[in-house]
Amino acid sequence: MTRRVDLHGDIGEILVSEDEIQSKVVELGRRISVDYAERQLTLVSVLKGSLPFMADLMRAISIPVRIDLMEVSSYGGTATESSGLVRILKDLSATIEGDDVLIVEDIIDTGLTLNYLIRYLRGKNPATLRICTLLDKPARRLVDIPVDYIGFTIPDQFVVGYGLDYGEVYRNLRFVGVLKPEVYSEPA
Amino acid sequence: MTDPPDASAPDPTDAGDRPTFAHASEAEMARILDFYAVRWVYEPDTFPILWNLEGGVVESFSPDFWLPDLDLYLEMTTLRQRLVRRKNRKLRRLRELYPDIRVKLFYARDFRALMLKYGKLALVGALSGTPGQVVPARRAAALVEVLAAGIVDPELAAAIGDPEQALAPPSAAALAAPAAAVPAGRTSSPRRGAGRRARRRLAAERRAAR
Repeated sequence: MTRRVDLHGDIGEILVSEDEIQSKVVELGRRISVDYAERQLTLVSVLKGSLPFMADLMRAISIPVRIDLMEVSSYGGTATESSGLVRILKDLSATIEGDDVLIVEDIIDTGLTLNYLIRYLRGKNPATLRICTLLDKPARRLVDIPVDYIGFTIPDQFVVGYGLDYGEVYRNLRFVGVLKPEVYSEPA
Repeated sequence: MTDPPDASAPDPTDAGDRPTFAHASEAEMARILDFYAVRWVYEPDTFPILWNLEGGVVESFSPDFWLPDLDLYLEMTTLRQRLVRRKNRKLRRLRELYPDIRVKLFYARDFRALMLKYGKLALVGALSGTPGQVVPARRAAALVEVLAAGIVDPELAAAIGDPEQALAPPSAAALAAPAAAVPAGRTSSPRRGAGRRARRRLAAERRAAR
């Protein structure tokens, strides 16, 4: 029998409130606007998790920006699957050659996906390539990546909300919360 | 602003020449690294960390993976807490002796979080700890003999693992990785020494039983 999702009831703790997120987004937008003044800035968002952050951040930036979206497949093959490779499910829709590119991420934990994206985007010859993430979970880091803009450094907990999902749900929560362990201990 | 970085597309790791992994969690980690095009080498180096008075190596540490692009060693430890403590001690010693080496210890909780993230939490039990260990044929045969002889020796059992666990039908995940083999040229480790001692004791027990 599958478990019924209780959007708010499944959250054990609110880690970052809606107000805290919005204040931080304004602060990041202000910093980015100053740092990239007079530059040709392109924000590249990585679907699907960073969608709410991207939508809020781009409106907090006061200089002209272009936006683009990417989506890459996530690891999740079966245990007996010999190997697979990350696939670009949605590529950039325009060239970024010579542009200042800012990757907008929802969360960085192991850094594996971001490491792949950076190498991929570097191949497209942007003028600069920097990273902005709402959440940073350094305890899980495998690949050390310099992150230029960090919203919140969070502890080693499984979080959902504000774009982050578990089993493709909880993305529409307006805050970042810690999922109750019993939620992922039972079949979703 | 930073300078434009080197333009280099990811180089997918050649998965055609895979080593034999000692543990299912290592095989899973290799698949994850392959997926994200992070190059890896399985147990390429052994670092001596303790010597006897004659200068012979009595303890060494062979990290599970080396990630050349990241210049990082990765050690997986999804086993019992007692072994984790031993590994932590060895890691501290390694860092004291080789301060320039970067090693990341990947604990059971890290592996669990990774599996949760990738929607594979249900497989954690099969890929972690004792069930995830791949039993080499020779060791399995020795364990069969232990059970057949009805030997109850806590020290022996500790040296060769829990026979009942080890002889349980292997999980699908464990079967995904080939049986463990000692990589050529690798320094003998205390754990393997314990295995040899256990086999010698087993032979002595059998002689005494005749």
